[in-house]
Amino acid sequence: MKPKPKMWRLLAVLLALATFAVACGGSDDAAGGSDDGELTPVTLQLQWVPQSQFAGYFAARDLGFYEDVGLDVTIVDGGLDIVPATVLDSGASDFAISWVPRGLVPREEGLNITNIAQVFQRSGTLQVSFADSGIDSVDDLAGTNVGNWGFGNEFELVAGLRKNGIDPASDVTMVGQDFNMTALINGDIDTAQAMIYNEYAMVLETVNADTGELYQPEDFNIIDWNDVGTAMLQDAIWADADRLDDDEAYREMAVKFVEGSLRGWIHCRDNPQDCVEAILAAEPPFGGPGHQAWMMNEINPLVWPSPQGVGVMDPVLWQQTVDIATAEGILTSAPTDGAFRTDIVKEAIANLEADGVDVNGNDFVKGTVEVTEGGN
Amino acid sequence: MARLIDLASRPTAAPVLVGLGILAVWEGLLRVVSPDGFVLPPPTEIAAAFVENFDAIWTGATITGYVIVSGLIVGALLAVGAALLVNRFRIAHEAITPLAVAISAVPIIALAPIFNNWFGLTSARSKQFIVILLVFFPIFINTVKGLGLADPSKIELMRSYAATKSRITREVRIPTALPLFFTAMKVSSSLAVIGAIVAEYFGGRQDALGPMITQAAGLTRYADAWAAVLAGTLIGTILYVATVLIENAVMPWHSSVRTTDGR
Repeated sequence: MKPKPKMWRLLAVLLALATFAVACGGSDDAAGGSDDGELTPVTLQLQWVPQSQFAGYFAARDLGFYEDVGLDVTIVDGGLDIVPATVLDSGASDFAISWVPRGLVPREEGLNITNIAQVFQRSGTLQVSFADSGIDSVDDLAGTNVGNWGFGNEFELVAGLRKNGIDPASDVTMVGQDFNMTALINGDIDTAQAMIYNEYAMVLETVNADTGELYQPEDFNIIDWNDVGTAMLQDAIWADADRLDDDEAYREMAVKFVEGSLRGWIHCRDNPQDCVEAILAAEPPFGGPGHQAWMMNEINPLVWPSPQGVGVMDPVLWQQTVDIATAEGILTSAPTDGAFRTDIVKEAIANLEADGVDVNGNDFVKGTVEVTEGGN
Repeated sequence: MARLIDLASRPTAAPVLVGLGILAVWEGLLRVVSPDGFVLPPPTEIAAAFVENFDAIWTGATITGYVIVSGLIVGALLAVGAALLVNRFRIAHEAITPLAVAISAVPIIALAPIFNNWFGLTSARSKQFIVILLVFFPIFINTVKGLGLADPSKIELMRSYAATKSRITREVRIPTALPLFFTAMKVSSSLAVIGAIVAEYFGGRQDALGPMITQAAGLTRYADAWAAVLAGTLIGTILYVATVLIENAVMPWHSSVRTTDGR
């Protein structure tokens, strides 16, 4: 009498567990890609939300450049708590966009990732303050409320402060600000971190309550880390170093991905409006056509000209970034070998050059974009 | 061996032994498995990070600790005041209690960016208000309950002595409410720590504990992040112990304080 009901119960539980296991296990999709003429699925993790900063990748996806090389690319939004290095290292994405120091610090902590294409040649980070604040140079920052976004975005600022003998821990108040200029306009902070292509435009697109007109560039003092000498390399394509060594198919995927992406960036240099439209179709969370057009126009000069070929690491620029990072305590020591590689991007460049595409942009001239209210 | 068993049976030994045991297992397991870039580093690494970053952690602890303690005290005073009013005056009960319930249902942390705008990004005020809102309801509702739990026969006795309402409150209701009040304070001290740290995630001084945790985690410096978490835990523990000490001092007559079992 006793064993029977118990046994049925046990069988029922086992059956339920088995069904559950089958249901869960069945969702393992073709992560490695198929080879029967179908496109290989690829995931790209962005460092931030969709905006013209990533125009090359969106253009490549929407204009078919990835498809042409056999890739089906899914672009994943970044955000506040999303660390591209960890997403890449965990395998949740095949490639990631990250600023160089934001990739080197996790690499030092043991995440084996590598920079396979240095897309941006120049940094776009600024510290913006009102013209009447008297903050004309880094020295004037002492004793002020210095706004910044943290999470590794503040390294150029920290290096700039330390280089000028200012201790970020005690000589200034470092304040975590939102990704807009509200705190600066409110007076909560004396100087705000802004990307020349994004937040700086946000304030120019805002109406000055005192004048009834849009804020003008003359209303602000800009500290540009390129001038101060502590600018560091920014947007680059990162890949999983271990996987590149072990998996030949992944390395081939990387070459194709870089080729498609660079073709996208070249298209955005020559046809910025197309790329703005690709971004607008991806529904950027901030700013309409005006803002994204400004952003595209400011992003292009950060990429072009690329004398070594777009995406190819300039060793001088790399060393400069490493020197600043180690000198100002952002990295505890210089990165070990393998932090960046140029073989993949050079293969991609060769393919592009064979097509007669201009991979240097030596004749690139920055356009002009009119500021619109609210970025519309 | 007999001495060890003797030692182990002392009341303070058990938690210490369990704690050390957990730390040993944690350390041992990670040394054996030793995964790279693991989110939870071994205790020795966390301790080392704590010591290395001690100056920054101390600064953070004072900044965040100030918000926690001041918010907790003000929140408690407001809650007790409201509870006394609600207990005494029917109108206060009808006005305040529904409001308190409604406020408790608001996702208070979501108000952090709003408070940052109202009170200023760098001022402690915006974080203090989050803590006050978080601790208010538990203390209020427990104190109200405690005040209402007074033994009716004692109240009748006081009335027979022609005692004023204030006297009844002071001598019967408040002592009855004290155990529940202190329980609520113990719960609220953890809430205050959580509230202050999470409120700091939304912007403000970056030398406070909250940003210290998120920034370190964002750079995969997990040992540093856990060291800052440890500092928060210590603050919470100190507050809890302080509450227990005050409770023992204020209610020496209560059975839970007099026996060693009644915690």
